[in-house]
Amino acid sequence: MLELRPGQTVLMEYGGEAKILRTLGSGGQGIVYLAEFNGRKYALKWYDINKIRNPQAFRKNIESNIHDGAPSEKFLWPKFLTKAGAYESFGYMMDLRPEGYDSFVDILNTYKLAIDNATGRAFKVSVQIKSLNSLITAAINIVNAFRQLHRAGKSYQDLNDGGFFINIETGDVVVCDCDNIAPDGYNFGIGGKPGYMAPEIVRGVAKPNVQTDKYSLAVLLFKLLFRGDPLEGEKVVNSICLTEMSELKHYGKEALFVFDPLNPANRPVRGIHDNVLKFWGIYPDYIRDAFVYTFTTGISEPQKRIIENEWQKLFVRLRNEILPCSCGRTTFTSAYEALDKHKLKCQKCGNETPTIVFSNHGYRTPIYEGRKIYDCDIHKISDEFDFVAGEIVENKIKKGVLGIKNLSNKTWNVKMQDGNFYSVSAGNGFPIWDGLEIDFGEVTAKM
Amino acid sequence: MKEIFDNQMDIFDDDPLNATGISKKSLVIFFLIDTSASMKGTKMGELNTAMEELMPEIRRIGEADTDIKLAVLTFSTGCSWMYPEPISIEDFEWTRLGAQGITNMGLAFDELSNKLSRNNFLNSPSLSFAPVIFLMTDGYPTDDYKMFLKKLKVNSWYTYALKVALGIGKEANDDMLAEFTNSPDTVVHAYSGGQLAQLIKKIAVTSSQIGSKSMILSDDATRELSDRDVADKKQDQLGKQIKDILDSSEYPSDIPFDSGW
Repeated sequence: MLELRPGQTVLMEYGGEAKILRTLGSGGQGIVYLAEFNGRKYALKWYDINKIRNPQAFRKNIESNIHDGAPSEKFLWPKFLTKAGAYESFGYMMDLRPEGYDSFVDILNTYKLAIDNATGRAFKVSVQIKSLNSLITAAINIVNAFRQLHRAGKSYQDLNDGGFFINIETGDVVVCDCDNIAPDGYNFGIGGKPGYMAPEIVRGVAKPNVQTDKYSLAVLLFKLLFRGDPLEGEKVVNSICLTEMSELKHYGKEALFVFDPLNPANRPVRGIHDNVLKFWGIYPDYIRDAFVYTFTTGISEPQKRIIENEWQKLFVRLRNEILPCSCGRTTFTSAYEALDKHKLKCQKCGNETPTIVFSNHGYRTPIYEGRKIYDCDIHKISDEFDFVAGEIVENKIKKGVLGIKNLSNKTWNVKMQDGNFYSVSAGNGFPIWDGLEIDFGEVTAKM
Repeated sequence: MKEIFDNQMDIFDDDPLNATGISKKSLVIFFLIDTSASMKGTKMGELNTAMEELMPEIRRIGEADTDIKLAVLTFSTGCSWMYPEPISIEDFEWTRLGAQGITNMGLAFDELSNKLSRNNFLNSPSLSFAPVIFLMTDGYPTDDYKMFLKKLKVNSWYTYALKVALGIGKEANDDMLAEFTNSPDTVVHAYSGGQLAQLIKKIAVTSSQIGSKSMILSDDATRELSDRDVADKKQDQLGKQIKDILDSSEYPSDIPFDSGW
């Protein structure tokens, strides 16, 4: 392939030229360079033309994607193409990945390699998502990004761990490698990454589309939560050597979920799949059921795979059910002992936590200092799972007394201990008590 | 008392963040390197340097799916492993090789057959990809390699392995190398020092990419694939990619035979 050199300039479509500064990385289809264009730095992906099946159609597709724009700000979307016909190959420019995001690959590995400047040797740096809230927020962000993409009538096609970057502090997500994204039903040659490809693609009877994206999305979520492969259990490990034939069998024709309730032949193996064995037991039933459904019914019937909006609701619930106990234990409410009066007891320290129920939820969520109430909790239909509408805080004067602070821009009606409702406007708060009721407008909440 | 404590720990080990690294498939890349006297000088210098520079390049290939390990077998009058077992690429340190003696390649084939076994070098408890075997030589075997190659060919790890051979200079025989790889498409030849270095790197990177990723999309996804459709797909793909490497302008074919050493 024709590689670019630092210092070289590349003509851009619609005028101007980009200067190549250095190589950032290489992938299956080409090389990514750091480039400067109009005084700003970008990433330039330059294709190995031999690896693109139909370069003209491929380029045309990127051109329409640039024209359509990104479906959400989470995508590192193509911005400019290099000048058509000026070179044997071509490329496109996108924004640089923002600082502070770690590759999903490194998160799965739990470390990344850094280079010691003095000796040139590589050493390992730990990479771990900092809080359970960030982990589940990352899942919500990923699912929502794909919901937006699919709503725009497009499919990602090559969904895998290499394309995602997560802010381990906040759970924010950046989706990279957007160049294979195409209108649903179109494919420009990409098959996908083993392990993430839907069984029907492996078998050769389908090409990547929105339904196969949903399968890959479920694999990605499974790996994010359970840190293992949903199809790799005893049956697959017994084949010892993964040849082309055994891959066709275990990931295509005879794909079997490790927790298939009707067929135990492929259960995770202790000593190899310890993460999966441990984490599967920690998550509540509704999360496990969603994965079971996707990797059993959803294997043979692609149209029945869980849709993004459904995943989003499940993960919003899961985030609401996180309970950090004062003893340091942090897990989901389903792991705590349920007491009378809707309290949850920590079996480790004996501490009891009250709960509240929102009328649009249908499940109880714990009340603890620092818990955030999001816009999507207080509206019937809302995608604003990031926007904080309220927070549980300690009263600054009366230490130890918890209350809810209204951080939304609306006035809430709140039932106080005297039995009357009072208006609580934005920026104000009110104490939590056993008979508390809150009217948010569309939604109400009760202890 | 300790038992009670352990049980308690177990019950409350319910932190969803407390993960260990994801379980990976393993891929062993075997390098069989001719260190006979004729390799002395520029050839060995280029080879050593290319191998050192290759290490950080292969490091990233495994991503979160594959633990790539290296095993280096050198052969001349005798043969020996650089390390007694395959070493993960992240911990591998290249020991610069010297050159002396004759070319007992058959011995190396024999030693490789012994180690290509679940009880030996391929003892990962988890899944393995078929190994990559990369042979580099500048001469014709001085021993009865055919006998040992026959033994190697009944080893099923060898059968499924991705095999590639690099002939260095005019003494290396492409037909003999194709006997080893089972396919002339994965035999390449370097005639200059620069070519040698580039070919080692490109081929090692390409074969480990194919070895660790596999699963190639059929060109026309309209019918159910059978085992026959996918058998040897990796080796075929490696052959095609090697052709692309050789066809690219960086490898002019008009370099005088054996010049530049």
